[in-house]
Amino acid sequence: MPIRNFSIIAHIDHGKSTLADRLLQATSAVSDRDRREQFLDDMDLERERGITIKASAVTVHHTYNGEDYQLNFIDTPGHVDFAYEVSRALTACEGALLVVDATQGVEAQTVANAYLAVDNNLELIPVVNKIDLPAADPDRVAMEIEQVLGLPAEDCIYCSAKTGKGIDELLDSICRILPAPRTSEIEQTRALIFDSHYDEYRGVIVYFRIFDGSLKLGDKIRMMGTGRTFTITELGRYTPYPTKVKEIGEAEVGFMVAAIKTLDDVRVGDTITLEHDPAAEPLPGYEEPKQMVYCDFYPATAAGDGKKGDYEDLREAMEKLHLNDASFTYDTTHSDALGFGFRCGFLGLLHMEIVQERIEREGGVEIVQTAPTVSYQVEKTDGELVEIHNPADLPDASVIKEIREPIVRLEIICPNANIGDLIKLCDARRGTFKEQKFLSDTRQILDYELPLGEIIYDFYDKLKSITRGYGTMDYEIIGYQPDRLAKVSILVNGVPVEALSLIAHKDNAEKRSRAILVKLKKQIDRHQFEIPLQAAIGGKIIARESIKAVRKNVTAKCYGGDITRKRKLLEKQKEGKKRMKTVGSVNIPQEAFMSILDQGE
Amino acid sequence: MRKPPPISIAQLTSDGASLQEKSPPQSAADLPLGTPRLLSGLYVHIPFCFHKCHYCDFYSIVDHKDRQAAFVDRLVSDFHAAAQHNIGAIQTIFIGGGTPTLLAVGLWERLLRALHATFEIACDVEFTVEANPETVTAELLNVLTAGGVNRLSIGAQSFDPAALKMLERWHDPANVQRSVSLARAAGIENINLDLIFAIPGETLIDWAHDLDTALALHPDHLSCYGLMYEPNTPMTMRLKQGKLHRADDELEAQMYQHTIDRLAQAGFEQYEISNWSLPGRRCQHNLLYWHNADWWACGPGAAAHVNGWRWKNIPRLDAYIDGDALPEIQDVEHLDEDGRIGEALMLRLRLLDGIASSELDSLLNATASGPLRRASIDRNLENGLLEVCDDTIRMTNRGLLLADSIVLELL
Repeated sequence: MPIRNFSIIAHIDHGKSTLADRLLQATSAVSDRDRREQFLDDMDLERERGITIKASAVTVHHTYNGEDYQLNFIDTPGHVDFAYEVSRALTACEGALLVVDATQGVEAQTVANAYLAVDNNLELIPVVNKIDLPAADPDRVAMEIEQVLGLPAEDCIYCSAKTGKGIDELLDSICRILPAPRTSEIEQTRALIFDSHYDEYRGVIVYFRIFDGSLKLGDKIRMMGTGRTFTITELGRYTPYPTKVKEIGEAEVGFMVAAIKTLDDVRVGDTITLEHDPAAEPLPGYEEPKQMVYCDFYPATAAGDGKKGDYEDLREAMEKLHLNDASFTYDTTHSDALGFGFRCGFLGLLHMEIVQERIEREGGVEIVQTAPTVSYQVEKTDGELVEIHNPADLPDASVIKEIREPIVRLEIICPNANIGDLIKLCDARRGTFKEQKFLSDTRQILDYELPLGEIIYDFYDKLKSITRGYGTMDYEIIGYQPDRLAKVSILVNGVPVEALSLIAHKDNAEKRSRAILVKLKKQIDRHQFEIPLQAAIGGKIIARESIKAVRKNVTAKCYGGDITRKRKLLEKQKEGKKRMKTVGSVNIPQEAFMSILDQGE
Repeated sequence: MRKPPPISIAQLTSDGASLQEKSPPQSAADLPLGTPRLLSGLYVHIPFCFHKCHYCDFYSIVDHKDRQAAFVDRLVSDFHAAAQHNIGAIQTIFIGGGTPTLLAVGLWERLLRALHATFEIACDVEFTVEANPETVTAELLNVLTAGGVNRLSIGAQSFDPAALKMLERWHDPANVQRSVSLARAAGIENINLDLIFAIPGETLIDWAHDLDTALALHPDHLSCYGLMYEPNTPMTMRLKQGKLHRADDELEAQMYQHTIDRLAQAGFEQYEISNWSLPGRRCQHNLLYWHNADWWACGPGAAAHVNGWRWKNIPRLDAYIDGDALPEIQDVEHLDEDGRIGEALMLRLRLLDGIASSELDSLLNATASGPLRRASIDRNLENGLLEVCDDTIRMTNRGLLLADSIVLELL
């Protein structure tokens, strides 16, 4: 039976899930009742955000020219933080549907994902979706696709996942246009892991694509990257319901259960081979997950008073989530201001946000998150190269030869009218202009290289506000570059607060730290004494503010009927004070630790 | 609604724990007050106003249904019910509101007659009635004095028409002087004026002028409050909507300091954060509150404190009039010993007499929170917010302005 392995790539909200859903329905794989939900996304969070984080694979059948085709649809994560996972999922395919919203046109993610697919030698079928909408302009969008991606406009398939229009044509095209998978190159078995889930009852569920040979129930397998061995206890396909099978053959896609206890044993991109007859070489492209953004998580309720309960709850939540997502790292940390917590590493900003939300939601723990920082490389004068994930870990300035920071290639798609403001924004964030080109009469693509450290704080918000929501962006990390970077310490009442320190470029350190001090000034209550707020590089103060002493805090009227209410008000104040962190006799509210994050410049 | 059966006092322990497991108390009769009690103070709430001032958060209504007579009838039955639970001579009576002077003269006669007929009243009772300057008449004053009223508390608030307008306080400032004269003529020797400062738009000079105007009327007692923005008042709403700007902290502090200086110069003693009097004219009734003493409460919305129990009559005129015997209550509270000590410290430190060291020691030694409270007091002694004077701990001038910061650590 001919096989076609394909993915759908699209910008967020351009209808990827609805289209997937409609394709499955058209192949009679899904009943109407099940169609209520877009079942390829199985986490609430993903649905809320319209992002598919975890890939799945579904196998369906379609008859084309009287022949039965097996179509394996491999779902991909939708965000660049998961670029590596996306690339692995794409490697498992021979083709992809490039879906663009007929009312929105090509967006930054469309471009980034299309390039990723081309890099992986995938055949692309351009699809213009949502043609049923009154504002749809499929011809214009097809022209954009041609102009930007070089895919001929006349090859675009117009469809509406909502009404079903064009779906049959699309299924036929998948069979007709996408190439058949290659045949086995070697005799030994090689399967690519493109995703994995953790299931409480069965352990890790591994999604794989077979390139060479086959896998059978009961096979003893070896992960070539980690070297771990397991025995397959369950083998199957989603159709879309899990269906158990005895064997999965050449070029096919499926899932397995093999009593694997943690996701650490299963790495996306790793190659599965047979223990008794292993392949000599793994499939190419395997990489360790690389954390680029770091921040601390502290339990929100524990003051720095040595109370361990909340910390233990947080630890439990982190451990549990880590079973489901091995791509973030966490290590115990301690801060004078915030007590015990964890230093965590994430693939990117969105990944950080998702992990934080999932820990709060699934673990029922409230988190104080410190401002994120990127991963720096520091070359010391003795030649040693160290990686720094925390400004507090920066070696003494006297032994630093240079500090290198991660640089990204940023792609922004925006309306013509905003191009000037966006160039200003990128320049202010130490960007290097690369390219500017027209996407259509009304929109342009702007390419910049700039430090990741400059976009992890409020860059996206700024972009959205400048373009009134119409601009989109995407980035990929292209390497490290040295620059004039320094650690800025923030002192509250003369005491440095490590959790507030940051690494900044010397040219804008003053501006950034002033913005932080102004924010802090708003968030720290006035005390009975004046509180100086200072920012310093080394011993040099580069910005200062002060919080005036409170002159008056008195309940003027307190008679018989007021006593209970006034007492409760004071008790509430006292309770609020308890939850603050005390540094140098100053009470700092937890929100203040986030003030580095967003700066209303 | 079907009322749950009343709880017998024998079922209850004095810590109130078992009370919470049972149905909530319907009235003060359901509380283990150890009745009958020696009654020292009585507060009576008259809930009528002709207009609601924008800063006020007391329970009052602008009555369009002419329920004054029905209210006084009910108040008389409330007196009778209260007397069942109380014995001994009342030392202080305070009739507040609302606007008590809005009650018709005939109803005042009935109220006062019932009061005397129901309770035993000490011959040296301090008997205060709150007065709105707009509603004071010679006829009313004669009825009041005949009924034993010997102290009048007049809500002057300000003499500046702009400030009164800001507060939506509807009276002619000239009527304050008229009220004082009429009260003196009627033989009332003890007169208080209520004043408010730090009203939006008010300057230090404006306030100094207000204070001088008040002093020129020769009051015996002055209550001077920095304006408070109480929740659910129009004033607070206007503040939140940005329609007015609250006085700067520094300005308010200066106004307060001026008050302290000016009134000392005029021979007044400050005995509480917001209260000043000529020697011998301290308000005995209000002192009951700050000394955590017992008082009973009649009328809707009135709060009482007896034998460690606090409660409030439900602030609804309809429900009150429809009731009989003791009114329905809410906000019932009985603190444990540690809570009561915190509360006592909160109230006592408001008084400039402070707390004698020996008494403080016994309060601090009574519970486990003592050392923490002691440390906080020591810190504030060091910071100059508290001082020791004649073996007594009390707030300094600077401390008075930061009283809440001091007290919240002691709760």
